[in-house]
Amino acid sequence: MTTAPPPSTVISPSDLRRRGALRLAALLAAGIGALAWLGRNTDPAAKPLAAGPISLGAAIAFTGNANLYGQDQRMGLAVAERWAQQSGTPARPVRLQLEDGASDEPSAIAAFNLLIRQGVIALIGPTLSQQAFAADPIAQRQGVPVVAPSNTAKGIPEIGHFISRVSAQSSVIAPLSLDEALRRDPAIKRVAVFYAQDDAYSTAETAIFQKALAARGLPPVTVQRTQLADNDFQTPITSALQLKPQLVVLSVQAVAGGNLIRQLRELGYRGQIVVGNGLNTPNIYPICQRWCDGILIAQAYSPELNTPINRRFQQLFRQAHGDRPPPQITAQAFTAYQVLFEAIQRLQRKGGLSGVTLGQARANLMAELLSGTYDTPLGPIGFSPAGEVLQDRFYVAEVRMDPGGRDGRFALVRERRLQESQP
Amino acid sequence: MIEALLQLLLNGAASGGVYALVALGYTLVFSVLGVINFAQGALFSIGGYLTYLLMGGRIGVNGALPGWGLPGGLPFALALLLAAAGSGLISLLVERVAFAPLRRRGAEPLLALITSLGAGVVLVNLLQLLMGAEGYAFPHGADALAGLPDVLVIGGARIRTIQVLLLLISAAAVLALSLWLERSKGGRALRAVAEDATTAQLLGINSAAMVRLAFFLSGALAGLGGGLIGVSVSLPGPYFGIGYGLKGLAVLVLGGLGSVPGAIAGGLLMGLAEALVPSDASGWRDALAFAILFVVLLLRPSGLLGRRTVEKV
Repeated sequence: MTTAPPPSTVISPSDLRRRGALRLAALLAAGIGALAWLGRNTDPAAKPLAAGPISLGAAIAFTGNANLYGQDQRMGLAVAERWAQQSGTPARPVRLQLEDGASDEPSAIAAFNLLIRQGVIALIGPTLSQQAFAADPIAQRQGVPVVAPSNTAKGIPEIGHFISRVSAQSSVIAPLSLDEALRRDPAIKRVAVFYAQDDAYSTAETAIFQKALAARGLPPVTVQRTQLADNDFQTPITSALQLKPQLVVLSVQAVAGGNLIRQLRELGYRGQIVVGNGLNTPNIYPICQRWCDGILIAQAYSPELNTPINRRFQQLFRQAHGDRPPPQITAQAFTAYQVLFEAIQRLQRKGGLSGVTLGQARANLMAELLSGTYDTPLGPIGFSPAGEVLQDRFYVAEVRMDPGGRDGRFALVRERRLQESQP
Repeated sequence: MIEALLQLLLNGAASGGVYALVALGYTLVFSVLGVINFAQGALFSIGGYLTYLLMGGRIGVNGALPGWGLPGGLPFALALLLAAAGSGLISLLVERVAFAPLRRRGAEPLLALITSLGAGVVLVNLLQLLMGAEGYAFPHGADALAGLPDVLVIGGARIRTIQVLLLLISAAAVLALSLWLERSKGGRALRAVAEDATTAQLLGINSAAMVRLAFFLSGALAGLGGGLIGVSVSLPGPYFGIGYGLKGLAVLVLGGLGSVPGAIAGGLLMGLAEALVPSDASGWRDALAFAILFVVLLLRPSGLLGRRTVEKV
């Protein structure tokens, strides 16, 4: 009797590979499915708005080169919190969560992501325009309102309908200081322009300055490009001075700008200097010292604006930081908090924060924010439907240093009202 | 034309001198331990801030002690020397914390890169905590320098007086260190340890003390560079030394790892290469400097003046 041979148990290598690949694919699919399920269930936007304090997030630069602005902003936010606490008891308190957005794009993105995951209703920040172009799309995709306190480059609100700012863009402000310089010396014909070519704010602002110069029949005799990290400007300055400029226009960040001004003066330049928004901080005084004296700058804030909210802001600022005027960046950070705080209060009164998910609350807040007008330390402001700040009061200031050259102030030279950007 | 060339040479030599100082600091530690001290950039920053404080500068509003400063102020030269010594002492602390424990355990030298990097980051953050992130300029600016004029005109080329001083002081420091290494008993002992620490120990040289001396000197050189750059272009923030530290690292490789003359030649070459780039193309400045580094290493992998090492089987 013969028996049939048992079916072969040998598996070919190709079958083995196929089975292995199938198992791996199944495992991956299960993993992705699990992650998606977990992700869906942990998305704070899908959950009902939690009871208790409403969280606002702020991602500003505590570290890195932009820390200089971040510290000014931190002061503004702290003053705003005290102002909010003293402005009557809101139905639900607002709590501010601060996160270091540092001075680079990846850090700003990480800070935005972290705050959004923690369930903040809106974000303030980031400090630099360069960072905003990277981090704002994250907030836009997740439907989180952003109020930028210091991004002045062109195209910030255009990132999306959840993005707004209280910092007027350079194109509105920058030309005002040029007009003042030309008013003081109408004979100016030769203008030298310096800007940091690896910085979004500086490149955006210099384009505006150069366009404004061209419109006034003064194309620059030289355009010197520097870099953000530069501190020694011997080479670009000596190149520019060979062309005997009568006006120098700078679009650089604060410390580099302070150094540039000092080195310009040391190397013998005696003409007028117009600077951009990057130097809108008293932190430049210790850098360029007596050489800062006389520089012209256009501002979106003046400590000399005599309104109740500005007086209150200054009073709170001086209580915390001594007898000195608050810088523009501090006032703008205060304003960013103020507009969000007031919009939240209005929304609460209308019931827009009751029985809704966090995602809906964020969308309601954005609509409320854009619909309101606000009496702020910057003056009355509002927003365009795209999220651009509408502000009509601007100022030209001149830096006046104390006799010792260690401290100074932005002295108001001229106030300008721009009808086309009324709130 | 000659004026422009002279201007270019002066600009390049001034920054090259500082690069050489930083690279020399790396060289001292590398030649003794065979590792790179990544905290060198932080020590550079510390040197700048110490010089500022010793000259009577006050802490800004964002620092831990706003308005605080030392009573009175020292003359620039004395403040610079003391700040260099202070940076040297902090460098000793870095050695104790980031290098010595690894050496005792016979750990891979590569690990010291990470521990020294960590020490550097901690130092810079401490500096930020203490001094704030604002920029500082020295109490009297260039006026503090014996009433010299702001600018010197040499053969038609304009250069700030402080940059000339910076170059002269860097050159003097490098020369003094080179002479000490070549001619003094201590310098020869340090070179013996660099050559072979075990043999040097057998010959009665205290190798551990020499390692500490190397760290002190490298920290002092970084501190000196920081003080000089600080008075030249101010202190732009606690991170400013990091950039110089990275540039010094490139110079170290360019000149030849462990070579003192190489560090000097590499520093000057790097400074001149940067000065050669017209300001219209300043975005390419670092690219040009590192392209030179790349080409030199392709042609001479051991650097400009480095010794070729023979791997023995």
